Amino acid sequence: MSSWLANTISEAEQVNDWLSPKRAESLALLKNTPWPNRKTEAWRYTPINVIERARFSAANDTDVQITAIENLDSIDLVFIDGIFNLQASTNDFPEGLFITQLSEGQSCEWALDGFKKTKPNKHFFGLINDALATSGCIIDVAANARIERPIRIVQSFTSGSQSHTRILVRVGPSAKVSVVEQLQGDELCFNTSFAEYDIGEAATLEHYRLAMQCQAAISIGGSHFSLAQSAKLTSNLIGFGSQLSRVDMDIIHAGENAISKLNVIYLLDGKELFDLHSSFEHTVANGTSDQNIRCIVADRANAVFNGRIHIHRDAQKILASMNNRNLLMSEDAQVNTKPELEIYADDVRCAHGVTIAEIDEQAMFYLQSRGVSRIDAQVILSFGFINELVDQMPNVAIADWLRPQLRNRFANMEIR
Amino acid sequence: MLKINKLHASVADNEIIKGLSLDIKAGEVHAIMGPNGAGKSTLSYALTGREGYEVASGSATLDGAELLEMEVEERACAGLFLAFQYPVEIPGVSNMEFLKVSVDSQRKARNLVPYSSSEFLKLAKAACKQVNLPLSFLKRGVNEGFSGGEKKRNEIMQMILLQPKLSILDESDSGLDIDALKIVADGINSQRDGQRSFLVITHYQRLLDYIKPDFVHVLADGKIVKSGGPELALELEAEGYAWLESYDRNAEQEVNA
Amino acid sequence: MTDQLDEALQREYEAGFVSDIESRTFEPGLDEDVIRRISAMKEEPQWMLDWRLKAFALWQKMPEPDWAHIQYEKMDFQSISYYSAPKSMDDRPKSLDEVDPELLATYEKLGIPLIEQQQLAGIAVDVVFDSVSVVTTFREKLKEQGVIFCPISDAIREHPELVQKYLGSVVSQKDNFFAALNCAVFTDGSFVYIPKGTRCPMELSTYFRINELNTGQFERTLIIADEGSHVSYLEGCTAPQRDENQLHAAVVELICLDNAEIKYSTVQNWYPGDENGKGGIYNFVTKRGICHDSAKISWTQVETGSAVTWKYPSCILKGDNSIGEFYSVALTRGAQQADTGTKMIHLGKNTRSTIISKGISAGKSNNSYRGLVHMGKGAKGARNFTQCDSLLIGDKCGAHTFPYVESRNPTAIVEHEATTSKVSDDQMFLCRQRGLDPEKAVSMIVNGFCKEVFKELPMEFAVEAGKLLEISLEGSVG
Repeated sequence: MSSWLANTISEAEQVNDWLSPKRAESLALLKNTPWPNRKTEAWRYTPINVIERARFSAANDTDVQITAIENLDSIDLVFIDGIFNLQASTNDFPEGLFITQLSEGQSCEWALDGFKKTKPNKHFFGLINDALATSGCIIDVAANARIERPIRIVQSFTSGSQSHTRILVRVGPSAKVSVVEQLQGDELCFNTSFAEYDIGEAATLEHYRLAMQCQAAISIGGSHFSLAQSAKLTSNLIGFGSQLSRVDMDIIHAGENAISKLNVIYLLDGKELFDLHSSFEHTVANGTSDQNIRCIVADRANAVFNGRIHIHRDAQKILASMNNRNLLMSEDAQVNTKPELEIYADDVRCAHGVTIAEIDEQAMFYLQSRGVSRIDAQVILSFGFINELVDQMPNVAIADWLRPQLRNRFANMEIR
Repeated sequence: MLKINKLHASVADNEIIKGLSLDIKAGEVHAIMGPNGAGKSTLSYALTGREGYEVASGSATLDGAELLEMEVEERACAGLFLAFQYPVEIPGVSNMEFLKVSVDSQRKARNLVPYSSSEFLKLAKAACKQVNLPLSFLKRGVNEGFSGGEKKRNEIMQMILLQPKLSILDESDSGLDIDALKIVADGINSQRDGQRSFLVITHYQRLLDYIKPDFVHVLADGKIVKSGGPELALELEAEGYAWLESYDRNAEQEVNA
Repeated sequence: MTDQLDEALQREYEAGFVSDIESRTFEPGLDEDVIRRISAMKEEPQWMLDWRLKAFALWQKMPEPDWAHIQYEKMDFQSISYYSAPKSMDDRPKSLDEVDPELLATYEKLGIPLIEQQQLAGIAVDVVFDSVSVVTTFREKLKEQGVIFCPISDAIREHPELVQKYLGSVVSQKDNFFAALNCAVFTDGSFVYIPKGTRCPMELSTYFRINELNTGQFERTLIIADEGSHVSYLEGCTAPQRDENQLHAAVVELICLDNAEIKYSTVQNWYPGDENGKGGIYNFVTKRGICHDSAKISWTQVETGSAVTWKYPSCILKGDNSIGEFYSVALTRGAQQADTGTKMIHLGKNTRSTIISKGISAGKSNNSYRGLVHMGKGAKGARNFTQCDSLLIGDKCGAHTFPYVESRNPTAIVEHEATTSKVSDDQMFLCRQRGLDPEKAVSMIVNGFCKEVFKELPMEFAVEAGKLLEISLEGSVG
C-alpha cells in the first residue's frame, strides 16, 4: 500500500460524525480495493502516482479572489480549501430553498439516506471522499419550488492544500433549480469533490460543472444524478485539464419518461490531462438520454473519455445516443476514447459515434482564400466546433462568460 | 370470392370494426371510403392477420377457405395481398431477393415449380418497368431510402409479380402526385382480368377517377353505413363526410325509438 | 413474436456426430514431460522443444484473463489431454490410399471430400483431426509454383529456416495466457509459404475437427506471403455434440511482406452447447498478422458456434500504405457467449483500416464487440473507419460494444459508428404478408443485416455461411 493511502486511511479512521456508519462501509471497501494502476480499467490512461509523490497540507488561511461570472445573479456558496467562507457567500435564500452545511447535516432527516444514494461505489477516490469529506453542503429544494437564481457553489483551492468536499442536493417533485459547481485553483493542490443529485418526479435540474482548474492542480471528482419519473436533467461540463483531472458523470434513470442530456467541452494544453468517465444507466423502460462530448487537444496533452450506456433487462423503449468528437492539434497530443454500449433489452434505439480528426482542410482553405491567416482560421473553426455546445447552454450569462475564456484559452494553445 | 360476415375486430381492447359484412365476387372492384378513424386500416390488418388486431367474432372466407384461422403467410399463399399504406424498410435485403423468395414461397404453397432465376428476372424487370421504376431498384434494399411515391409503386410491382386473387390497396394514393397516381392506377388496372378482385381503401375520391369501382362502400365507426355504385364516391366528394354525423344522429334516434 | 424468432433460429447441430476411430491419446495432465512427449511424437528438432518449454515456463506464471464480457467455469488444465491422434496415423500415410477409410468417411459426412478428383477445383485442403494433420491435398501441384502448403509439423522438419524466423514473430510466447499455452503444447495446423510475386493458384483451406473426448485442440497456423504475393486462405471447424466443455486454443500468425496480400476467412461452427449452456467448445483464439509496406491483410469471420468465443483477429500495420480489414458476423443464441472483435494497430504512414462488425444475439446469449484502433505517432495520414451494428432478437439476450480508440497523430482520422436495432414487427409482418414463413423471414432479414460481411467471403464459403444462418437464397438474382 502506498504511504499516501496508508496515511489517508488512518486519517479517515479518526473521523467521527453523523455520517460515520456510512463512512465505515466505504472505508471497509477501500481497504479491499487495490491502488489503481495502468492495469485497472478505470485508470487505464490516467496515471495517479503524482498523488503519492506530492506533499499536501490541510487548509491554508489565505485570502482568495473568487472569479465572478458577469451578469449572473446567483446564490453563492464559497469554499476555500474545503472550508466554508461565510463572508463571500449569500446568506438569504428564497422560499423553498434550504441550505445546510454538511457538518450540520444531522438536522436534515433525509441527508443520511441521500449520502451515497446516487454515487456508485466503484470509484476509488469516491470511496476516499466518502470516508474523508467533512465539509460541503446540503441543498434541499422543496416540492414545486421554482428557484430562479442559480445556486453557484464555488470551490477554490490554494497551493499545497488537500481537501475533500461533498455536496448533496435534493430537488423535490416538480421543482426547478439550476446548480453551478465552479472549481478554481491552478497551483499544486489535491482535492476530491463529489456531488450527488436526487432529482424528484417531474423536477428539472439545470447543472453546470466548470472544472477549470488547470496546470499543476490535481482534481478528482464527479457529479452523480438520479432521475425519478419524468424528471429532466441538462448538464454541462467544461474541462480545462491539469496535471491530473478526472471527472465522473453518472446518470441513473430510476423512473420512466425521464430525459437527460450531457454536453461536455474540454480544451487541453501543455502536459495536461483530462479524464472523463460518463455512465448512463437506464434501469427502467421509456427514457431518453443524449450526450455530446467535444474536445480539442494541443501540445502534449492527453484527452481520455470513457462513455457508457447501460440498458438493463426489460428497460424497453429507450432512446440513447452518444457522440464524441475530438480534434487533435499537435504531434505529441493524444486522444484515448472508449464509447461502450451494454444492452439487455431489444426494443431500444442506441447509437454512438466517435471521430478523431484534424480541422477540415477544405474549410481551412476556404477561410484562407478569403484572406484569413491559417492560425486565425484554425481558431475560428475550432471555436465553432465547441461553440455549438456553448450555444446550447440554457443560461445565457454563463455562456457569454465562457465564450471569451474558451477563445482565449484556445488562442494561447500550443499548436504544432 | 371474399366474404366477410359480421366481423368484429379490436385493437388494444378497443373495438374498431363492429359487425362488418361485405361480399366481393370474382373480378369485382370494391372501394371502401370513410373518414379518418373509421377503421379502414384496421379492416385490412384484421383480414391479413397482423399481430395486435384481434378478431372477436365473425368470419372472412376467401374462395370458401376461412382466413381468420390461418397464419399471416398462409393467408398470403391463399391469394390475399395487402399493399401497405406505410411500407417498411428492410436494410440489406435486396428487392430482388425479397420478390423471388416471396414468389417462390407462394408457388411452393400452390404446388407450382419455382421460376428459374432467368425467368424470374425477366418477369421482375417487366414489372419494374410497368410501374416506371428504374431497374436499379431491384438491387436496392427493400424500400431502403425510397421516396414515398417509390414505396407505393414498389408495392404495386409486388402485386403484379405475386398475382394475388384479392388485393387490398390501403391508401395507395396517399402522398402521390398526379403522375405517380396514374402509374399506380395503371398498374392496378392492368391486373383486372375479370377473375381477380380488388378492395381499394381510400380517403379521397381522386383515386377512383382512375380505378373505376363496381361498388363503393362508406365505412363509419366500424360498419358499412352506405353502399352504392361509383356515383356514391362523387357524392362523398361533393358533400364530404359531414353528413355522416347526421346519419349517426338519425341512426341513434332509430335505435332509441 | 419473440418465440417465433427464437424458433426460427433453432436448428440441429448437424456436425455433432462422433467418429468411431481408435486413437492414441495422452493421459490428461500437463507438465514438462507431456511437452517433451509431444515434441518427440512430432520428431521435432531441439530448438523447437526449447521454445515450447520456454513458453510453458512463461504460461505457468500468467493469470487467466478475466476482462472479457464472458462467464464460464474456469478450466482445469490438468484434466485435459494434450495429444490425441488416430492410431492409423502412426506411420504417417504417404497418400490418400493409406488413410483410414473411417477418417475419410468422417470428412465425407461433413461435406469435405478428400479425394482430389471429387473436390471443387481450385481448393487445396489440409485436414486436421484432433492433434494431427490427416492429409493435405494438391501439395505437389502447389509445389510446382513454389507454394508450400503442409502441416506445420512437417514444416518444422522440412523448412526450419522459415519456421524459426517467423514462428512467434507476431504473437510472442508471452503474448497472452492462451497463446502461451498454445506455444507450449500446439500439435498441428497449417503452414503456408507463398514465394515472391506469386499468386497462389488455388484457394488454400484447413478444416479442423475435434473428435476425441476430453482433449483440447491447440492448432498453430503460420502463413508467410513473400513480397508481392497473394493468397486466399479459408478455415472451417466442427466438433461432436457432447455435454462436456472442450478447449480450443489456437494461434494464427500472418506475415505479409511488402506488396503482398492475405485474405483469411473463417467459418467457425464448433459445437455451441445445448440451449441451457451445457457442453460446447471454449474457443480462445489469438490471430494476428503483420503488414509490411503496401501489404494488405483482410480477415473475414462468420462465428456461429462455440459455447464461449474469445477471439480478436488483428492487424499490425507496420509498413507505410498498408491496409487492414476486418469483416465479422457473430451470431449467438441459446446460452452462447461471444466476445470478439479486432485490433488495428496503425504504425506506418497512410495506413488504412476498415472494421465492419455485425453481432446478432438471440435466446439468452450475450454478444460483445471488443476492438482497438490505435493510431501511433508515426501513423501520418492514417485512416480508420469502424461500423459496429448489433441486432437483438428477443428480450433475454444482450448486445454490447467495447471499442477502444487511441490516437497519437493529429493527421490520422478515425471514424467509429455503432447502432443497435431489432428485427421489427413491421418487417416480419411485411415478409409474412408476402407469403414467407417466420423462419424464412427472419433468416432473410438477418442475412440482409450481414450482407456487407458475406460479400467479403470467397464464394464457396459465402454459401456455407448462408446455410449456417438458414438461408437458401442461392441462385436468386440480386
